[in-house]
Amino acid sequence: MSSLTMRPCGDFRTSYKQDNTIFETKTIRWVTIFTIIALCFAPVLLDGYFITLLIQISYLGIAALGLNILVGYTGQISLGHGAFFGFGAFASAWLNTSFNIPVFLCIPLAGFLTMAVGMMFGAPAARIKGLYLAIATLASQFIIEDFFARAEWFSGGASGSMAEPVKLFGFVFDTDQSFYYIALFALVFMFIWGCNLMRSRDGRAFIAVRDHYLSAEIMGVKLNKYRLLSFGISSFYAGIGGALYAHYLGYVSAEGFTIMMSIQFLGMIIIGGLGSIKGTLMGVIFMVFLPEVLSSGVGFMKMTDWGNIPMVIDGLAYIKEMAIGLVIIGFLIFEPEGLSHRWTQIKNYWKFYPFAY
Amino acid sequence: MRKTINKKLLLSSIATTVLLSAISQAQAQDSVFVGHLADMSGPTAFVGKNYADGVRDSLAYINANGGISGTRLESETIDYAYKVPQAIANYKKWKTRKNMVAMQGWGTADTEALISFVARDKTPVFSASYSGHLTDPTAKNPHTKKPAPYNFFYGASYSDACRGLVQWAADDWKKQGKDGKPKFTHIGANHPFPNAPKAACAEYAEELGFNVLPPVVISMKPGDFKAQCLSIKSSGSNYGYIGNLGGSVQSLVKSCSTVGVDIQFMSNIWGGDKEVFAAAGEGIQDYIFPTMTPFWGDDVPGMKLLREISKMSDESGKEERVHHYIRGVCSTYFMKEAMEWAKDNGGITGENIKKGMYVHKDWVPKGLEGVCLAANWTSEDHRGVNQVNIYKGNYNDGDIKIEKVSQVTLDRRDDWLGY
Repeated sequence: MSSLTMRPCGDFRTSYKQDNTIFETKTIRWVTIFTIIALCFAPVLLDGYFITLLIQISYLGIAALGLNILVGYTGQISLGHGAFFGFGAFASAWLNTSFNIPVFLCIPLAGFLTMAVGMMFGAPAARIKGLYLAIATLASQFIIEDFFARAEWFSGGASGSMAEPVKLFGFVFDTDQSFYYIALFALVFMFIWGCNLMRSRDGRAFIAVRDHYLSAEIMGVKLNKYRLLSFGISSFYAGIGGALYAHYLGYVSAEGFTIMMSIQFLGMIIIGGLGSIKGTLMGVIFMVFLPEVLSSGVGFMKMTDWGNIPMVIDGLAYIKEMAIGLVIIGFLIFEPEGLSHRWTQIKNYWKFYPFAY
Repeated sequence: MRKTINKKLLLSSIATTVLLSAISQAQAQDSVFVGHLADMSGPTAFVGKNYADGVRDSLAYINANGGISGTRLESETIDYAYKVPQAIANYKKWKTRKNMVAMQGWGTADTEALISFVARDKTPVFSASYSGHLTDPTAKNPHTKKPAPYNFFYGASYSDACRGLVQWAADDWKKQGKDGKPKFTHIGANHPFPNAPKAACAEYAEELGFNVLPPVVISMKPGDFKAQCLSIKSSGSNYGYIGNLGGSVQSLVKSCSTVGVDIQFMSNIWGGDKEVFAAAGEGIQDYIFPTMTPFWGDDVPGMKLLREISKMSDESGKEERVHHYIRGVCSTYFMKEAMEWAKDNGGITGENIKKGMYVHKDWVPKGLEGVCLAANWTSEDHRGVNQVNIYKGNYNDGDIKIEKVSQVTLDRRDDWLGY
């Protein structure tokens, strides 16, 4: 995948084609294709629990990639990503129930609606940056959350709104196993799109805005246009993720799309690696599996005699909550460039083994 | 050398994992599994912990005393910290790996996220989310957007509890012999939980001749609510329904007591217990709140069993449990008896447990007489309880007094079903 950090020595490229490739080497391309094919067989091989987690990774991953495009690639900040995710969920359910648009069309349409809303709230980015922008986007979080609770025609207010399962050519994707393929398709599609975007003219402009906005402006990059576009694309991704979430659950409630969710998205991309597409996916996988691994740890404790007392289990429950915070702090200190950087280091280590310098 | 150690460690940990899972599968013979989602560290932990203790102690007690007519009752309590993704993941894990037959849930977040799944998987869920829209299993009422056929809860819905309070307020107004129309205000955050009874309750208040004022919005988080209290004061409202819980209620009561608002507060079921009164202090004067159970230490026949259940986590038996705990016990015991019926009538499956919920009329679980209110669930009406006990709390300089004021029984009106 297109790398944006400085290239290690010995990594020569002799043509533009090589410079522009999605997959750095043939091996990576084959591994990716093979992984996707293997994932297609997951419902046969894995039980329902893992399928749920994979679906979760898909919809959260799509939304997190959107945030990474905004934060990691364009250097803006958003504290309202959770609300945009929720907006996509409600928008898709609303389009489907109010206008009888088929669900598979509602999902991209919800993406575009969220994009419009995101650009509206991203407009201040044309004028302000840094901490001020963070606070401006924080406002969008609260405004949209309040909108969910009030706009009965849109979100169903207190009683929430229902979302039909995806139907395609008469087949209803209402089980985890069938919905998994929708989620997998969306994930692969959106990630390839993300990779493609980053090697295009617009993608390079985003990076220029991030690295040095003054230089970028002097070079002829329209700052306002690209900042706004980045907000739009980021919200589009959030909307698609949210819409998938809605049609997976079959029901959307205004609870859950809180500031905590926005922060969790930020946590995912920081752990995964800002400005890295594969890092986004790594961060999401990490964040989805961490609580599960920790709670199975609590589960093992319960099987022992000395561990199965409420005091120990309650204590572990609190530790589980703290652990997530601890992990983020740990990453910020020891691996600020995230899992993707760590991955590159591991790869390099094996490449030069045993003659690492 | 280091590598061999790592290998050994890896092998031994794999062996342990395999062994432990083998043990857990061996235990699974002639047993049923009930999942329990609790919030003990999230935003609703303030009351979630009490309720969860009630459910957990009951499950442990049932298991220690013969299970479901001899069938072992396995359970697992997971603190999902009010996070929807974790609730879903745990639900799926229990469903696919442990063959869960029923679940004890917690709040609005997990209950509503799982409505579609539990209906499809035919797994009854007993939640502590009392939203009115969970009570219409066949969507008879056009208000109902999404029928929830496998959702049950013990207690009156938020809407019904609020209606009960309004009914009490109307009587209270007459008793005091005041003239004119009493004014009613809904106070709470703009959030699904406080909003759940807002429209339904306002409608009924108007029906009873109240002048319903625009709702006052206060945050779910504790804060300084003097501005809101001043606007309540200037509106001259007589009866205020509090939709929030925990710290937010304490802040409201304190702020309004400072400002000097003369209003009769009536809270929802989560907004009034001894802990709240002790923390809120002086402002608690004739604070009205509903309960679905008696209080700890009340002289009722079922208190004996309740004390035994409480000893599961508190061996000394000295801890005073709040009424949320007792509701958790009732919720679990109704499930237990439905499971017993299911065992005698075709085996403990989700579908049979649901049928078991409809068998009894004026149903009180054995041993909990006087603790749990008599409940009636039917296949078309999931309003199990239509009674509301109304209590009054007073701070009295730290000597907290709680007394019963009245018991309201609500009609099972068709237009209130699922609303």
